[in-house]
Amino acid sequence: MKILVAVKRVVDYNVKVRAKADGTGVETANVKMSMNPFDEIAVEEAVRMQEAGKAQEIVAISLGVAACQDTIRTALAMGADRGILVETDAELQPLAVAKLLKAVVEKENPDLVILGKQAIDDDANQTGQMLAALLGWPQGTFASKVELGDGTVNVTREIDGGLETVALKLPALVTTDLRLNEPRFVKLPNIMKAKKKPLEVLKPADLGVDVAPRLVTLKVQEPPKRQAGIKVGSVAELVDKLRNEAHVI
Amino acid sequence: MTAYFAPIRDMQFVINELADLSEVAALPAFAEQEVGPELVEAVLEEAAKLATEVLAPLNKPGDVQGARIGPDGVVPAAGFGEAYRSFIDGGWNGIGSPVEHGGQGLPELFNTATQEMWNSANMSFALCPMLNAGAIEAISRAGSAEQRALYLPNMVSGEWTGTMNLTEPQAGSDLSAVRTRAVPHGDHYRIFGQKIFITWGEHDMTGNTIHLVLARTPDAPEGVKGISLFLVPKFLVNPDGSLGVRNDVHAVSIEHKLGIHASPTCVMAFGDKDGAVGYLVGEENKGLAYMFIMMNEARFKVGLQGLAIAERAYQAAREYAKDRVQGRPTGAKSGDRVAIIHHPDVRRMLMTMKAQNEAMRALAYVVAMHMDLARHHPDPAIRQTHQARVDLLIPVVKGWCTETGIEIASLGLQVHGGMGYVEESGACQHLRDARITTIYEGTTGIQAADLAGRKLNMDQGAAMRALIAEIEATAETLDPIPGDDMAVIRDGLRDGVRALSKATEWMLAGGDPGEAMAVSVDYLMLTGTVCGGWQMARAARAAQNKLMTGEDSVFHEAKLVTTRFYVEHLLPKADALLRSIRNGGISIMALTEEQF
Amino acid sequence: MSILVIAEHDNAALKAATLNTVTAAAQLGEDIAILVAGHNCGAVAEAAAQVAGVRKVLVADAPHYAHQLAENTAPLVVGLAGGYTHILAPATAAGKNLLPRVAALLDVAQITDVIQIDGADTFVRPIYAGNVLATVQSKDAVKAMTVRGTAFPAAAASGGSASIEAVAPAADAGVSSFVGQQLTQSDRPELTAARIIVSGGRGMGNGDNFKLLEDVADKLGAAVGASRAAVDAGFVPNDYQVGQTGKVVAPELYVAVGISGAIQHLAGMKDSKVIVAINKDEEAPIFQVADYGLVADLFAAVPELSKELDTLKAAG
Ligand SMILES: Cc1cc2nc3c(=O)[nH]c(=O)nc-3n(C[C@H](O)[C@H](O)[C@H](O)COP(=O)(O)OP(=O)(O)OC[C@H]3O[C@@H](n4cnc5c(N)ncnc54)[C@H](O)[C@@H]3O)c2cc1C
Ligand SMILES: Cc1cc2nc3c(=O)[nH]c(=O)nc-3n(C[C@H](O)[C@H](O)[C@H](O)COP(=O)(O)OP(=O)(O)OC[C@H]3O[C@@H](n4cnc5c(N)ncnc54)[C@H](O)[C@@H]3O)c2cc1C
Ligand SMILES: Cc1cc2nc3c(=O)[nH]c(=O)nc-3n(C[C@H](O)[C@H](O)[C@H](O)COP(=O)(O)OP(=O)(O)OC[C@H]3O[C@@H](n4cnc5c(N)ncnc54)[C@H](O)[C@@H]3O)c2cc1C
Repeated sequence: MKILVAVKRVVDYNVKVRAKADGTGVETANVKMSMNPFDEIAVEEAVRMQEAGKAQEIVAISLGVAACQDTIRTALAMGADRGILVETDAELQPLAVAKLLKAVVEKENPDLVILGKQAIDDDANQTGQMLAALLGWPQGTFASKVELGDGTVNVTREIDGGLETVALKLPALVTTDLRLNEPRFVKLPNIMKAKKKPLEVLKPADLGVDVAPRLVTLKVQEPPKRQAGIKVGSVAELVDKLRNEAHVI
Repeated sequence: MTAYFAPIRDMQFVINELADLSEVAALPAFAEQEVGPELVEAVLEEAAKLATEVLAPLNKPGDVQGARIGPDGVVPAAGFGEAYRSFIDGGWNGIGSPVEHGGQGLPELFNTATQEMWNSANMSFALCPMLNAGAIEAISRAGSAEQRALYLPNMVSGEWTGTMNLTEPQAGSDLSAVRTRAVPHGDHYRIFGQKIFITWGEHDMTGNTIHLVLARTPDAPEGVKGISLFLVPKFLVNPDGSLGVRNDVHAVSIEHKLGIHASPTCVMAFGDKDGAVGYLVGEENKGLAYMFIMMNEARFKVGLQGLAIAERAYQAAREYAKDRVQGRPTGAKSGDRVAIIHHPDVRRMLMTMKAQNEAMRALAYVVAMHMDLARHHPDPAIRQTHQARVDLLIPVVKGWCTETGIEIASLGLQVHGGMGYVEESGACQHLRDARITTIYEGTTGIQAADLAGRKLNMDQGAAMRALIAEIEATAETLDPIPGDDMAVIRDGLRDGVRALSKATEWMLAGGDPGEAMAVSVDYLMLTGTVCGGWQMARAARAAQNKLMTGEDSVFHEAKLVTTRFYVEHLLPKADALLRSIRNGGISIMALTEEQF
Repeated sequence: MSILVIAEHDNAALKAATLNTVTAAAQLGEDIAILVAGHNCGAVAEAAAQVAGVRKVLVADAPHYAHQLAENTAPLVVGLAGGYTHILAPATAAGKNLLPRVAALLDVAQITDVIQIDGADTFVRPIYAGNVLATVQSKDAVKAMTVRGTAFPAAAASGGSASIEAVAPAADAGVSSFVGQQLTQSDRPELTAARIIVSGGRGMGNGDNFKLLEDVADKLGAAVGASRAAVDAGFVPNDYQVGQTGKVVAPELYVAVGISGAIQHLAGMKDSKVIVAINKDEEAPIFQVADYGLVADLFAAVPELSKELDTLKAAG
């Protein structure tokens, strides 16, 4: 069993993101970058499968600028066996990422591909579904539990009304939700070992994929700020305000 | 309390550009580790995660709850045991220890950066591994092969912790007054006596604690030449490594103190019954010499604590200053009120904090680099040169960074206004925690005596003059572009190093040694201030080069401006200190005791 | 402009999110069709035909659509797509599961969480947990997008009279199957449709204490929500989560109890009309967005609130 995990380099979730004054994008200079939290969960799940003897090899793949190597190294330190970087400075939109991943999947032939359900920068929540579509594979999105069977995988999904379990034939694709697992802290000795693990660098052109964006971002701006209101001194005052000032109860 | 984020960008800059990572990386000792900027980044990123997510959140609760002593001994504050597990499971304890004992064998530079993070996140916590590191060092250097094999692997992994038992009620700064007795008993000794102020002297986070204890054998000569070092395990260790009986050593109480509440400071009783079993480390009567080898590094690490608290205080003040709205911009009578970061005086405070921190970090990390070269360079002569620099600068890092750390923590509180004085803001804790750093591992007075007495006179000022020459040379490399920051920085550094040179000649001139001692702390602070300026100037030069290539202009421009601020507003203190030094000790010593 | 809206339903009822999506569709054009893919879902089709502004309801009724597995419904939508300039789905778990799959098969981009329509090809959507809004323009022939319900009012559920057409089901892809589900049972309104929401965070301490909130919620006719920390701690089920990666809500009144107000939580509720925060930490960031903040221990304040509401009721 071979697992491919996609990991994205994004602005760290603790960072308060601000729009650039000229509206062309967000400020990313001097900003802490980290692995997308959902992708950490994806790597963790793959590593746990390997530790449980259910998977033999884990390949971590990232797409984007050269610095994405750091993100791959983190995945390797968590336990992935080797890395692939599809390096480009071009803006990559989800459809392009899905196409690049499809090309890599066709080279690597994994049995399972795990991605995060969304990246916390573009909040798109698309790439996994798109990749599954292009591959013609079944998809278990928003997973909170993944159980490997013989030639199948059962995925419990977080849906709006609760949970739903689906059975997928392998090869299959899973996208992770928050409660699938709690990713481990990387151990220092594993950081050192990760340096020795292979990391292959490819270019989109090597994969024969056209990555031209389909969406043009016309502008980026901050939404109007909500003003802080008042502090009330008591529950009685609160109820009074809600009834007689805000008219909501 | 605000979150802690490790200043990874500045750490990387200092390590890669100022502490000359490439030279350290080229040492054969680190060939296996493939040391380089990528490894620095990976290690710092992951350490930062642990610091931010596991250690920092326990800092305030640990302060409020504190460590306690119960019927079964010392109980650490809630969460510390689990955090310690994560810490050692992550392999962080052995970061700098040799691979043969299960460590990672990484350079001191890496250890230094991670130490800074642990201490910023939670100084009470960080003290535990810090004291353990001191004990590991002492056993590695002075212990027998058997002792090393029996104790080091578990201490390096962190499964066991180590302590340093030096201080006694009558023996603090003056360790020659130690009275604890060691009586020979077959292949070991029995230890009797009381030690005070022993950091993490007891706790239940690990299965065993290994105490290193200074004591006197029955016929030992008086004073420093009669002190030996003993290894006293809490639980005796069988030859196969399994644990045996509980030794006759116990924490009998813990201190109620100003800060570091979650770090238990224990009174340790040795030999309440028939004597604590102790094993001699190295030779008899050489204990103090062994202690000093390791104390050098412990002092260095306490210096880092000064920096670490200052960094945390700065981060809190910066966030507060961006949020707190108070007053209008200078000169404006109406219009919107602004966040206090707009006020010039708040800027002065924040710039002082930022510039001091960056200068302290640069100096401390550069000393760490010298430690690596002093330990591992293949050429003994080169090792010697680097060791001389280390020996000279350790009291400076200890004394200057801790004194400055307290000032910065106090400024951080000031930025918070009235809230700063209230515990909820967290600013109080930083100041309270910082306050110990100028006391333990040798007070500032003792550091200054070491610098101005021992270190300066040992080689008649050779190491200091070499340092001064190097600073002068740096000033001359700051090619001035007219009207540019670099010219200001060069001129400021020239003035600063001139003050250091004049002060050094005055100290060496050989007047009354008492007089030199009277102004020794001024001399230490002068040295620190100028060395800080020197490192900032090197930083500005590196930043200037980076700016020419257009790399990360936000960071590098700030570095240039911060250096200019240091040179314009902090480095001038060197002149004032020089004046004080030259005025000598007469008025300091003139009053009789009764006149106080 | 011809728009296909994918209905959100459970074979028995048409879900409210569909109505908000129809409103978005109406801003694009008048030629609106709704696709109901399911099994024994005739009642849903009937309901969809009543929705104001809808011209046509397409019904694909087959056993393999019973659970709307994306592997089966995506090819169906792709088969129908030829006639449409826009395909819209609600930005719900179901919509987000399906629509990217459709878009990829059509080789078009998909636009997630549209909150504003600036023209036939220009849309506004939040990114970075709603910290910034991006205006994007699509160059594709078909615009596939999910629509954030809170940004568009619901279309009238009645008054329409669309024709109902059966469409031939596509083949069963045969790669996935439904195993089971565990739905949260509740008589309270659904989070995304509720007029009032009472949400609890880690400050609630445990799941039992949520009864305090349920009590208040019932008196207000409110839904109960939660922060991620409360869900992670197992106090309440996952579908209670409000936030960047949970549900996005914008009720008339949102009451946050024992919630600190992390940016990821705010992303899910900051468009509420009125926000109330009850928290014992006066520095909690939630107060920066709250219209009414009460610094208090929730274990005292919430029971008191419950009593005040009784008094209010008694007084009429
Ligand atoms: C929280 C805490 C933790 C500690 N942890 C440990 C530990 O783990 N292990 C351990 O062994 N000890 C520990 N200590 C003890 C610490 O190292 C001593 O307190 C310190 O060395 C100072 O000694 P003292 O307290 O006896 O002060 P003293 O030596 O009495 O000094 C009092 C003052 O006199 C000055 N002074 C003394 N002698 C001279 C001199 N010759 N020249 C100039 N000035 C002088 C000092 O600078 C100081 O200002 C700890 C102390 C504290 C408070
Ligand atoms: C223990 C205690 C007792 C007190 N007792 C009393 C009392 O009895 N009666 C009473 O009325 N008040 C009292 N106070 C309040 C005290 O006077 C205020 O805390 C003090 O004036 C500072 O105001 P602040 O806390 O709002 O800080 P801020 O005004 O917010 O100041 C924060 C920081 O910004 C700086 N700053 C603010 N504005 C400017 C500016 N325009 N230019 C430059 N720098 C600026 C300040 O110097 C400070 O460093 C007390 C406070 C404490 C902590
Ligand atoms: C990728 C990612 C996605 C995320 N997505 C979401 C999301 O969709 N939704 C979400 O909510 N979070 C999300 N988070 C988590 C978010 O960052 C916060 O951790 C979370 O919102 C905190 O929940 P909380 O406010 O309940 O807990 P805390 O931050 O722990 O706050 C608890 C609050 O309760 C108060 N309190 C405690 N006891 C009492 C009492 N007795 N009376 C009154 N007040 C009390 C405290 O003062 C405190 O303010 C996400 C995080 C990441 C990294």
